[in-house]
Amino acid sequence: MGRRVKLKLGSRIAYVDLVHEVAEDLARDAHFSKSDALNIGLAVREAVINAIKHGNAMDETKSVEIEFEENEKSFRVRVRDQGPGFDWEQTADPREERNMFRSSGRGIFFMKHFVDRVAFLRRRGRGTEVILEKRLQPAGRQGRGGAMKRRKG
Amino acid sequence: MKANARHHGKVTVVDLSGKITIGEGDIKLRDAVNALLDEGRKNIILNLSGVSYMDSAGIGELVACYKRAAEKGATLKLLNPSGKVQDLLILTRLQEIFDIFRDEREALASF
Repeated sequence: MGRRVKLKLGSRIAYVDLVHEVAEDLARDAHFSKSDALNIGLAVREAVINAIKHGNAMDETKSVEIEFEENEKSFRVRVRDQGPGFDWEQTADPREERNMFRSSGRGIFFMKHFVDRVAFLRRRGRGTEVILEKRLQPAGRQGRGGAMKRRKG
Repeated sequence: MKANARHHGKVTVVDLSGKITIGEGDIKLRDAVNALLDEGRKNIILNLSGVSYMDSAGIGELVACYKRAAEKGATLKLLNPSGKVQDLLILTRLQEIFDIFRDEREALASF
């Protein structure tokens, strides 16, 4: 079992950069490449934006919880809101001609592109949980010695 | 995100740098383009070479700027998107909408 890091923040867009930074840093700690770490950061960013805007409807008194976890196989991030939930199954494909000129609606599409697995769980009466998962590189590469081991330099 | 406008005759080049993301970058991009459209500028190039990445809000604002420009009879073109930004434009198929240039002189001459 690797290290777990948990954040609990109010629903403020100003916190999105902070969460992105933490996600990218932890992904780098887990020896993802710079490019993969940025992708993980971007996926987490989109999940947090969704939680704040669509889950908690910008209600600053409602919180967003972000939990980072690494095991031997994957780097997993759970983003939970406290809202009534949104219909993630009804999101349109932003690449379709009729949607390409829309100024919104690309968040979930980005999440699905940037990590290996995205799952949405409706927590009865307690909001939505989004799970983002990226498979770890095989052990031994780049001298990887353990879960979430702090990188040097 | 920073935005600096340079005028080359009838064409304006906006040098953007940093990241275009929700809450700050997207608003600065909107303000920069709106200011040029309000001045009556019709030919605008967004130089993206200094932009490290964008999120869905940033991409959305780019599309919104394109639409607002078109509504005002102006044209918005893109110059030198960096690796990640280029990836996002391809991923979203927006490279099919925007005129994208690698060379500034070519971009200036395209109007």
